[in-house]
Amino acid sequence: MNKLAKKIDTAKGKWDKLKDNREPIVYVGAASCGRAAGALELKEAVKAFLDENKKSARVIEVGCIGPCYLEPLVDIKMPGQPRVSYNNVNAKTLQMILKSHFVNGEPHKKLALGHFGTDDLDGIPRFWGLPMLKPQVRIVLRNCGLIDPEEIDQYLAVDGYQGFMKALKSTPEDVIATVRQAGLRGRGGAGFPTFRKWTVCRESPGEQKYLICNADEGDPGAFMNRSLIESDPHAVLEGMLIAGYAIGASKGIVYIRAEYPLAIERLKRAIGQMREYGLLGKNILGSDFSFEIKIKEGAGAFVCGEETALIGSIEGKRGMPRSRPPFPAIAGLFGAPTIINNVETLGTLPNILRNGPEWYTRFGKEGNRGTKTFSLVGKIRRPGLIEVQLGTTLREIIFDIGGGVQKPFKAIQTGGPSGGCLSEEFLDLTVDYESLASAGSIMGSGGLIVMDEDTCIVDLAKYFLDFTQKESCGKCVPCRVGTKHILEILQKITNGEGTPDDLLALRTLGDTIKKGALCGLGQTAPNPVLTTLRYFRNEYLEHIKDHRCRATVCKPLIEYRVIKEKCTGCQSCVRVCPTGAITGPRSEPHNLDPSKCIKCRSCYEVCRYEAIAGDAIVIRTAESKS
Amino acid sequence: MTREKKVTITIDNRKVEAKANMTILQAARENDIDIPSLCALEHLPSYGACRLCVVEVDGIRGFPTSCTTPVEDGMVIRTDTAEVRTLRQEVLKLLLSEHPASCLFCEEQTDCKNFQGTIRKVGVTTGCRYCPNDDMCELQEITKKVGLTETSYPVYYRNFPVEKEDPFYDRDYNLCLLCGRCVRVCNDIRLNGTLSFKQRGKLTTIGPAFGRTHLEAGCEFCGACVAVCPTGALSAKTSKWAGKPDEIVESTCPYCPVGCTLDLKVKGGEVVDVSADYDSPTEHGLICVKGRFAIPEYVLSPDRLAQPTILKPEGHDLLPWEGALDEAAAKLKAAGPKGSFIVVSPQLSNEDLFVAQRFAREVLGTEAILSPVMFDLGSDLRPFLDLAVLSESVDTIDTAAGILTIGLDTTYGFTPVGIAAKRAAKRGAVLVTVSADECNLDMLSEEAVQSDPARWPDFMEGVMKSMSGNGTRKKAASSFFKKGDRNVLVIGPDAIFSAKRGEIFESALTMRDSLGWKVIVCHPYTNLMGMLAMGAFPGLKPGGMRSDGALKLKDPAAVVDLKQKWKVGYFIGEVPSPQMPRCDYIIYENALPAPSGIDPDLVLPAALFTEAPGTTISCEGKILVFNKASAPFADSKPDWWIMSSIAERMKKGALKYASLAAIQSEIRKSIPGFSGKDRRVPRKKVAMEGKTAAARNPHGAGRVMTPFETFRGVALHDHVAGMKAIEERRRK
Repeated sequence: MNKLAKKIDTAKGKWDKLKDNREPIVYVGAASCGRAAGALELKEAVKAFLDENKKSARVIEVGCIGPCYLEPLVDIKMPGQPRVSYNNVNAKTLQMILKSHFVNGEPHKKLALGHFGTDDLDGIPRFWGLPMLKPQVRIVLRNCGLIDPEEIDQYLAVDGYQGFMKALKSTPEDVIATVRQAGLRGRGGAGFPTFRKWTVCRESPGEQKYLICNADEGDPGAFMNRSLIESDPHAVLEGMLIAGYAIGASKGIVYIRAEYPLAIERLKRAIGQMREYGLLGKNILGSDFSFEIKIKEGAGAFVCGEETALIGSIEGKRGMPRSRPPFPAIAGLFGAPTIINNVETLGTLPNILRNGPEWYTRFGKEGNRGTKTFSLVGKIRRPGLIEVQLGTTLREIIFDIGGGVQKPFKAIQTGGPSGGCLSEEFLDLTVDYESLASAGSIMGSGGLIVMDEDTCIVDLAKYFLDFTQKESCGKCVPCRVGTKHILEILQKITNGEGTPDDLLALRTLGDTIKKGALCGLGQTAPNPVLTTLRYFRNEYLEHIKDHRCRATVCKPLIEYRVIKEKCTGCQSCVRVCPTGAITGPRSEPHNLDPSKCIKCRSCYEVCRYEAIAGDAIVIRTAESKS
Repeated sequence: MTREKKVTITIDNRKVEAKANMTILQAARENDIDIPSLCALEHLPSYGACRLCVVEVDGIRGFPTSCTTPVEDGMVIRTDTAEVRTLRQEVLKLLLSEHPASCLFCEEQTDCKNFQGTIRKVGVTTGCRYCPNDDMCELQEITKKVGLTETSYPVYYRNFPVEKEDPFYDRDYNLCLLCGRCVRVCNDIRLNGTLSFKQRGKLTTIGPAFGRTHLEAGCEFCGACVAVCPTGALSAKTSKWAGKPDEIVESTCPYCPVGCTLDLKVKGGEVVDVSADYDSPTEHGLICVKGRFAIPEYVLSPDRLAQPTILKPEGHDLLPWEGALDEAAAKLKAAGPKGSFIVVSPQLSNEDLFVAQRFAREVLGTEAILSPVMFDLGSDLRPFLDLAVLSESVDTIDTAAGILTIGLDTTYGFTPVGIAAKRAAKRGAVLVTVSADECNLDMLSEEAVQSDPARWPDFMEGVMKSMSGNGTRKKAASSFFKKGDRNVLVIGPDAIFSAKRGEIFESALTMRDSLGWKVIVCHPYTNLMGMLAMGAFPGLKPGGMRSDGALKLKDPAAVVDLKQKWKVGYFIGEVPSPQMPRCDYIIYENALPAPSGIDPDLVLPAALFTEAPGTTISCEGKILVFNKASAPFADSKPDWWIMSSIAERMKKGALKYASLAAIQSEIRKSIPGFSGKDRRVPRKKVAMEGKTAAARNPHGAGRVMTPFETFRGVALHDHVAGMKAIEERRRK
């Protein structure tokens, strides 16, 4: 313990030096989102600037702080000044910002997004007071974007591993009781009370037990777990130690999808650092608790996010779920009692242990304690990673945090391919496990996709079913064959060949699959269809009866034409049309030849005069079907 | 023996008792409640994929599958509610939408089946009537049971090409239901692993990984997958269109001494297919390719000898039996005692062997009862027999702590031994394999030693040294075996036919007699035990195995002067080969012609083991039965009848046997253990008089390479199409 205590002291010292920095620090948000936006090139540019101008500064890569639409984020902390954050930085603005700080000695007020100090900074707002951040309660994400994820010392300095050390001082049963009191429910989607699974495992006979961190995160577009691991890997690892201690496991495995190379790299480094600091191995910190962590990469299968398929994958078998009983908590990996917890569940644990369960119950509401991270994406002004208390309404999330939608709001999809689409009437629904379930959707792992009038609901259902059908492991009949039939019907409908009987068929199939499928993938696969049928039935009927796609997405149902009254003849559309379907001389209304049109929407999107309309013109009537 | 715990459950309002570790499906079936299921099968681990066996259980959410849910005391189960029935029908509809099944719903199906009156309305690919499994299909049965009469889902024909390139069985995955039975039997029961699921979603299918052929992937062609397939997706080539068998006759496999139980499927008076018996105690149904697939084509080969023939200068002349038997008797009489020898096949039945040795001794007056065993083993005969006669039963491996295999690859033979070894290795036993190339046991071995057969004796020396404490390198595989443990040595054919086998045999004997090893010998001489028990061996009388103490054999070379000039050679179920003595006149009694280059003077067609009943003794000493499944081919006769008839003409009253029973009753008198409850023959240690370095066979010291698979001297691959590919792979 002493060795670690010394390291913590050193770490705190280093951290203080960062806070009261003598040397300027440039933080670059370089998680995957930042990198995709060009953060690494900016980092090089920063270094180049410093070289050229003979300035010295520390350049630290940090993780994702949340608002991805603002990436790349570059923060500058000059000595004696609070850290100032700049958004959507490009090569040009970077030079302006750096010059402002390093040469002129002051923040660039016009470009600044916010600052991390306590007092007012000359008109620059407080970062945490910004509208998309103010309503958030950042527990799991508390360090993301603020610390260097590759430095264990920074994690230690912000009270990292304190939760684990407290856990070690108490008994495993106490730890389970703490988690019970805190009311933590599994954040992977099912929302099962964490303490209950742990108790079953703890009480199951067996010398060897396993703790698995499920970092497969297969939902398309979901990135909460990825961000957390990339930005604060030690939070998750500390959670693994706590969970492992509670259930009596000596081996931990992180099952992480291979499509997350940066997260894997950071994890490997963090595990190595843990070992150096005596936080892994035999008799950790002088206790009876021994623990080892291994990483197992996935191989591109959504179904391996399902518990038993995940276990099969680790065992070297094909990732196919198996029936339960027996439950993994009793007989799981290699037949031993196993607990599988989601990344976020584990990432929450250090905070619960460190601050105590009563503190955690202050957030959320009865039965749904605490916070949840969400990836808020889609047709929203401010997409990104957020964390809110359970019980927040959808309206608050979409409009207060997300900044609302530009075009009229249509629906919000929660829970990924296992979830459902909720219409406008549900905007005041609170985000918690029961409410969402009662509306026919699920919380899921936290994906929130916002849709506006440009999204075709049938097309969306088709997208999710296409995904589930491709990812179905093929073992059980209802899922393998049923989802294929649902997909075919949806394809029929979006092709303009749907019949009213199809809607009944969709419902029957959905029912059969829900009741008959072996695992969660199958059982929830029909949800997107069933909820959209429930709340957007009219849109389906439009496709079928009127052969119309009101969102102008389903190509076979739309035909483009030029609105002569609005066309100014500017030729912008002519220039972008890939097939030469639009013709017409300058300053005269143009002509669109439907036979050449491939419906790529380029003209629609480039036209500034709203002179291109997509109409669902009947191109296949009942009589003309051959 | 502890009594199995029982629980009380309620199924469909009936209170019944069930064993504590049963599944609901098993408990229901035991109580005559038939819950339909497709993917569940006795002997296979439960799977839960088809979802047909769903039930309602109080306290369990949704519709659990009865095949995967274990019973618990007080459970309340409903198997036939309206919701369950609807769910089953919907699932079945989905299943049928991927399976050509028009015939199941066609209004004309009865007429079509009975009279084929309707000119084909549906394509070959879309109906049951054109499926190899028609009338034997579990899917057809279930459709009737579940009561499905129509379906509205569009049928999706997956358009897989029918796979015909591999030997023995075809695969039409358009008919596959993905029930996974084949994958489970291949991986979990046969421990082979050729089959697995490939791809996912609607593209899911089954086969070897990486697009390999079954041959390349190490398929044993054991046919277990074909047997468990509920549809016609997997079908044996020879019986594909035969339809439902008329009867099933239980018999024994004659191809090797393990003596697996076989169920012969008879249709139209012919054996068209064979299946395994998973309840058989020796091999538990884990038969090999030879027994499974290489019997119908051998027995029904177009080359079967139909009538006796005699060789004249102009060629072969047909002869009626009377004439043929007269000719044989005349020639043998003229040769006089010591002028003729007989060669018996070690694959003859006990009865045939018994009559053969009587024929030689009493009618011909000679001890020249030769067999390929002698010529193959030459001067290594004694140690070989010592090891083979006392070969342990296969289940010895089940409790072994250490297993050493020398020259053994069980892909195409001795599969029960190989699978037992794999099972033991999985359980934690130390398995070390020694072979010239990769062998199929390598994957589960602690170490796979690949070396030239000339070095195998050195390895065994290493093992012996290490066990006696004269340490070898600690890490060497030869030091993996500990004294005091139950260690099993398995000697495979590649060792038996290697140049240094004498040393291998001697080491094996030392390991057995001084270091406590149990030895299993995998050799091709099906009824070697019968040969010795019946006395079909020079200088050994029948019942020689009853003497107390060692089984005393005489060195054949000491009993018979093989170098003399022989007049007549009478080959019974064997082919004259270069190692055997030359003679002036060859009498050839067999079922199939001798290979080209050998022109027997007199050919007597023999009936085979499926046509002429008899018994054989396995390597474990068990007496096993060949049952008659079809009539003798054309004019062929049982071997014992032929010998008896010739004897009659040479010595009035000799060897007069009216029936098989008469022979058996005489055997019972001479040999103890041939009757009796245990049906086993006592086995004794073997000693051989005569010089230990016995006189070498003038024709060479036996084969040095594992021979082709033969039956009664005739190569299987000359008559069984698929065996060509198998032999090619064996020799790669």
